[in-house]
Amino acid sequence: MSLDPQSLINGYLDETLSPEEHAALQEWLQAAPENARHFAAASLLHDRLRTEFSVLNHIGDDDRDDLSLPLTMDSKSQADAAFQPSKTAPKVRSYRLVMMSLTTAMLLVVAVIWKGFGVTPAAAATTEINRIIAATTHAPDQTYHIAVEETGAISSRELGDDAPERQRPPKPPLTDATLHVRAGGQFVLIRQTNDGRRFTTGSNGRESWAIKPDGSVRVSSDLNEFNRDVPGHEHSMPLIHIEDGLGRLLEAYEVRLLPIETADDAAAESVIASSEATRLIVAVKKRQYRGPKRVEISYSVKSGLIQQMRFIEMPYGPERLTLRMTLQSQRPLGERFFEPTSHAEPSKAME
Amino acid sequence: MDEQTRQATRQWTLAMPVVSAFVTSAVRDFSARDDVLQEIAIAVIEAFPRYDSSRPFIGWALGIARNQVGLYLRRQRRDRLVFDEYVLVNVASAFEQVTSEESHRLDVLSDCLRSLEGRAKELCALRYQEDLKPAAIAERIGMSANSVAKALQRIRDQLRECIERKAACEGVT
Repeated sequence: MSLDPQSLINGYLDETLSPEEHAALQEWLQAAPENARHFAAASLLHDRLRTEFSVLNHIGDDDRDDLSLPLTMDSKSQADAAFQPSKTAPKVRSYRLVMMSLTTAMLLVVAVIWKGFGVTPAAAATTEINRIIAATTHAPDQTYHIAVEETGAISSRELGDDAPERQRPPKPPLTDATLHVRAGGQFVLIRQTNDGRRFTTGSNGRESWAIKPDGSVRVSSDLNEFNRDVPGHEHSMPLIHIEDGLGRLLEAYEVRLLPIETADDAAAESVIASSEATRLIVAVKKRQYRGPKRVEISYSVKSGLIQQMRFIEMPYGPERLTLRMTLQSQRPLGERFFEPTSHAEPSKAME
Repeated sequence: MDEQTRQATRQWTLAMPVVSAFVTSAVRDFSARDDVLQEIAIAVIEAFPRYDSSRPFIGWALGIARNQVGLYLRRQRRDRLVFDEYVLVNVASAFEQVTSEESHRLDVLSDCLRSLEGRAKELCALRYQEDLKPAAIAERIGMSANSVAKALQRIRDQLRECIERKAACEGVT
């Protein structure tokens, strides 16, 4: 196993690393900002090599003999070239000119569709979900209150009498649970058992952990170890990874951005301009996928931040829940908040 | 083309080499890079009216790129070794700091490539033109995969030195 950083970078880019070497590279990248910058420099060269060689696929065989001609342009010329008619007709075009024309053509098509013919509700919803993902990723830590609106049993015919969900111990109730999330898969989910004791699970992004009602603490390097009874996990729509869940929506759901219902366009513009304005995205599950039947996301038009999410008929063990997650606060929760030590009793040993 | 689209295209054109390298560093597969880059370009033009021009465009575009990369990796269901989310955040941040000079320095790469000969030229073409991984290259030319990987590393080192040398001669810092 090679642990030399340069070899690790090269191995990563060529996809030859073992899982251990991959882990070592990740650790090295996290160790210092200079390391990540060194990695970025190596990736720039690797990417440019591909682009340089792809020029050969875009030009004819006759032109390949002319590769002694300059192939590059300065950066300003690249940008200008996208808008200027060519004054000459060179046989050899730089890779950038090839990419510029492709990029410009693509952007023009998008611009025409976007501005000329209006936007389809699905495309608008996709754009908004991408904006919500970006806003969530860059937002401070978020705290949500979870309320269960309805509970129903999944029928035996649908679930099967021998389904693993029936064999497992009951999951802790989600009623009045509190969920704290931070970008990078960090979370703390606090639930109350039926006898009023606290059951806390979480992750600091590197390890997952659980503090059972008796106070015992378990820590695992498997990030999914304690996620299995978190709602949504089994359907790749984990509540604890809101970005992942939103990404899943785009794949497995028909997503629609509901219009703002006002008397006219001017009134709609006025509502949108308001800092309090929220808008609703409704996602309905496609037939071939599993997961909640319907998801509703209410978000701030201005900031793109989620205010509330409703999961309608979400499978949760042998039950089907309709639950609501409402944003309580957004603020930094402290560097160590997502560590188990911040939630466990000091006297309890970690397993 | 209206002025806003023109601005978006111009900014994207300048940012694309760095965004492309970031995407490659995350997804590695070059055809996947092209697909993801296309999605990013569309997202950039769609979202451009909301871009705050007082902030660097590259950081904004990398934010969009990170989301699109995340979506792509989730769709792949993590069947390959990929960076954890928090590592990807750090890597994106490092790309954000790449200066236009650093990016511009690579403009001499085509000159350096002409200095490659024989087996080095062949290996580079197989890796970057035909998009073959070391194991596939090894089968093609009868070397061991390990030797191919090491040879590619040496070639990249050699090219990097050539770039530094030429950049120094041309006064690009």
